Amino acid sequence: MNPLAPSNESPSPSGPPPDRPRTLLSGRGDPFLSRVEGETGANISACYQCERCTNACPVSQYMDIKPHQVIRHVQLGWREALLSSTTVWVCLSCEMCSTYCPNEVSVAAVISFLRNMAFHSSIAPREKLLAVFHQTFLDQLRKFGRVNEFWLMEAFNRHLPILKEKIRAGTLPEELRLGWDLWRKGKLHLIPRRSKAIAEIRAVYRRQRGEVAP
Amino acid sequence: MKLSFYPGCSLDGMARDYARSITAVFQHLEIGLVELEDWTCCGATAAHSLDEMMAAALPARNLALAEKLGLDLVSPCANCFNRLRFSRKLLREKMVDVPWQVSGELEVHDMTRFLAEPALIKRIEQRLVRPLAGLRVVCYYGCQMVRPPRITGYTDFENPQTLDRLAAALGAEVRDWSYKGTCCGASIGIGRKDIQDTLTGRLLDKARQAGAEAIVVSCPLCQANLDIIQRRSKGMVIPVFYFTELMRLAFEGGERAGVWFKQHFADPLPLLEGKGLL
Repeated sequence: MNPLAPSNESPSPSGPPPDRPRTLLSGRGDPFLSRVEGETGANISACYQCERCTNACPVSQYMDIKPHQVIRHVQLGWREALLSSTTVWVCLSCEMCSTYCPNEVSVAAVISFLRNMAFHSSIAPREKLLAVFHQTFLDQLRKFGRVNEFWLMEAFNRHLPILKEKIRAGTLPEELRLGWDLWRKGKLHLIPRRSKAIAEIRAVYRRQRGEVAP
Repeated sequence: MKLSFYPGCSLDGMARDYARSITAVFQHLEIGLVELEDWTCCGATAAHSLDEMMAAALPARNLALAEKLGLDLVSPCANCFNRLRFSRKLLREKMVDVPWQVSGELEVHDMTRFLAEPALIKRIEQRLVRPLAGLRVVCYYGCQMVRPPRITGYTDFENPQTLDRLAAALGAEVRDWSYKGTCCGASIGIGRKDIQDTLTGRLLDKARQAGAEAIVVSCPLCQANLDIIQRRSKGMVIPVFYFTELMRLAFEGGERAGVWFKQHFADPLPLLEGKGLL
């Protein structure tokens, strides 16, 4: 249902989750629009819904909330609808939307920020495989300092839910064939190249978690 | 002339053929490449997707290494280039703090734009041994190298020209098309193969419609996507070349092409043989 269509049942919109007022644990309100604008530097308030972003997007047909609607959702504070959308995971960050916006709204940066937010929220990602893949990539990075395609896919498939999902969807045989083809072409390398500077990378991760070096 | 060089994980893995062609081409052009010692991954799409702070911090370490060398940095991978420039912008704006000594003032080039400067185009033309006459190609830039312009610095982001100029300098017949910067799907095939196949398949169709016999790329992921999808196709395939592979071909002739292109799924040898380029 189009959340932008005029509704008689106002003020509560019919499509996305009810637009109830939220309070943070601190008791303060949740100024979602200002927060997203502040974090991304995107002038979301300048959007006049011309839909240029959605028309430029190569994957808008696969999104439940189209790029121009994402901006409207942010303006309206519909956080849960955004974080549980397919949009944040399907977006390729190809930057077509931002590039063609007449008001220079960085739509892709907003969607990236929402993807970050969705990942760190309690809402289950709508595209589980993609979310786990990105997570696995970062795990590999922290392990080797660099990323090796063979070990990345090995670690990805070692997640039992992922393997089950692939078996259920019937994509596993095709993937094994691809792996075999890549191996035959000499494109996979079983010995991962490590960076000697891995300690520095791990230190940044620790610091980001708030750990103080002794 | 000397540059610092950040190959990135792809050139250390699936795109080692790209790395080998780069080494050869820069030797021909007499430009020194100094690989950053102990470079680390730029974070790529994963850090950008899940962890914006690490997306800014991870490339900064490599920028710091290049600044220590004091040599302009060149990146052959579109995504690495984009991430390095993104991090550099935030460093300049003092929006990220990292434990390394880095100012963000160093120039970061993508390899195509560096080589497509007029002086180097002239040098390339002087080095030609076997011009690629009669080879009809389209150039495909993808997303990360050209967009967003405030990061990449491209002014002709709607119709970029660097690869076109390079391919033309090699003597190839460069066809114009409207899909230079339309996304190939990147790594979305991991979870949504339907989307991947649609986007990549469309690019191949449009390249054919433009009359191209081959596609010239500079991004390892674009190359993999466009090449791998053709691995079981019967009939006419469209070889997907790294631009440096074509440069090497034009500089050295095709005697060893069988070795250079053996990692390609869409076999370029029949096409090159037909054009008398082997």
